[in-house]
Amino acid sequence: MDIGRNHECELVEALSASAPDPNFGATLSDGESVREDTRDDGLAERRRNYGLGRTPHSNLILNQELPLIMHIDLNSCFATVEQQSRPSLRGKPIGVTNRIRENCCVIAASIEAKQLGVKVGMSRKEAEQLVPNFIMLETDPPKYHWAYQRLMRIMKSYSPNVKMKSIDEGLIDFHGTPHQDLVKVGYEIKQRLHKDLGCWMRCNIGIGTNRFLAKLASGLHKPDGLDLINADNLQEVYKGLKLTDLPGIAKRLSLRLMQNHINTPLEFLMADDQILRKQVFRSTIMGLGWYQRLRGFEVDDFKTKQGQVGRQFVLDKRTNDDDEILARLQYLCQTSAMKLRHSGLDARGMLVWLVFAKAPTFGNGRPEGFWQKRKMYDTAVFTDQDVFARARELFLQRPRQTVTAIGMTCYGLTPTTRSQITLLPENVRADDLMLALDDANTRYGNFTVTYADALIGKNLIKQKIPFGSTRYFELLISGT
Amino acid sequence: MDFTEVETRVKVIVLYQIDADINNAARPHKMIYQGREIVFTELGLYHPTKRGQRMVHVFDMSDDESDYRLEFDAERLSWTLVAITSAN
Repeated sequence: MDIGRNHECELVEALSASAPDPNFGATLSDGESVREDTRDDGLAERRRNYGLGRTPHSNLILNQELPLIMHIDLNSCFATVEQQSRPSLRGKPIGVTNRIRENCCVIAASIEAKQLGVKVGMSRKEAEQLVPNFIMLETDPPKYHWAYQRLMRIMKSYSPNVKMKSIDEGLIDFHGTPHQDLVKVGYEIKQRLHKDLGCWMRCNIGIGTNRFLAKLASGLHKPDGLDLINADNLQEVYKGLKLTDLPGIAKRLSLRLMQNHINTPLEFLMADDQILRKQVFRSTIMGLGWYQRLRGFEVDDFKTKQGQVGRQFVLDKRTNDDDEILARLQYLCQTSAMKLRHSGLDARGMLVWLVFAKAPTFGNGRPEGFWQKRKMYDTAVFTDQDVFARARELFLQRPRQTVTAIGMTCYGLTPTTRSQITLLPENVRADDLMLALDDANTRYGNFTVTYADALIGKNLIKQKIPFGSTRYFELLISGT
Repeated sequence: MDFTEVETRVKVIVLYQIDADINNAARPHKMIYQGREIVFTELGLYHPTKRGQRMVHVFDMSDDESDYRLEFDAERLSWTLVAITSAN
């Protein structure tokens, strides 16, 4: 995120650093008079291109370039893959969860289940009440990994600029590739998906001039849609949508927009950049970002930096017993430390949090029933043992309450320095042992060699499917 | 839906199609399970997976009545019927 912020900061700096010296010949919406452009640094031109500083509704400037960003989204990915692999489930309302329990929730629902009102996040009980013949299945990560690999292989055959946003969606940037009809390419991708994975696999495809419009287009006709948004039809598309239909606009943000008399996507598009920056978002970066994004200019092409690694677990039973909770915490620490090593990172900071069955009274402004303790240490660690030792130290400072959920996060991440030669070789023996264990586990499967205490957690906590990032996919799939 | 975990070695006859896509070239044609011959009509999904360094090829097959999960262990050269799903 940091890099992204920097990127946006630079953009904002370039475009709006001239606030006291606005070099464009226009009148700001608040009526402030500005002087004519006298400098030839290209800034005025760029501001004009983005349509900044113009009064609302006048000369709406949209990105006129050819739409070259394609967003591909597998429909109800996990559930659809399950239906693909088991034909007897096709056409039925099914859901997928990590581990089937009484109180588990739906992490993916089939299109048929969604049509009957089942939503992601709904508890199994609610789903079964709503749809009596609802079928709940456990996740099968290697299957989804295979689908992900096949999708990526198809996408990479069109352009080297492919970015997977998560396990079930990604985008292709066609800039710099030979000119081709992207609508035709889209239909071809759908056919290849059928051929490579199976006849039940469907995907939504959206094409736009930036990531935002491509994603928006991919959601217009679910399931199995293909839409293109460019400068010609952009306003027409916005006309038929609600604010919350826009990617990135949820309930809270839409309320804030409405408070500022922006009630529709079209009004959002027409809103003056000054209003967006100063009134709506009260942030130049956010306001300017949305101003450009809505017009089809790219503002979301940046790399993110990994800031933290962690896991959480809703306990299988409520307990106040240290040993029971620590056995589960140790497993969470072990999997997080594996992720650290997989990413070549060390961590200095540790955060442990707990949710209690009964709300304790802290009186310090923290959410009720929630406790957390964090500490930034002088040294960075990456072994299972060290990560757990720090988590344990913080955990033992907890209030004595019955716990329902636990979580831990390693932060303060830095690239590992383990490859450097040390003057004190005895200090790295534990590290070397850890790396040797990793080798053994890579060969024979994760957790072949593990701590006895962590076995309880391993048997209870299933490796979850990464929704947001695909960073650890290879690690998580190996030997699970 | 009935889901039965089986985890048993089975006899399998495999078809190899020389002109098919590499991921669909080899697929189970039929198997003998509990003395019954089951002829597969559809390959639901094929996917490879690893158990440590061991490669296992997973075939989700169907005979129009039930779905069968078959695994071929590439190191041990063995076929295992893992589970049967029947739709009711």
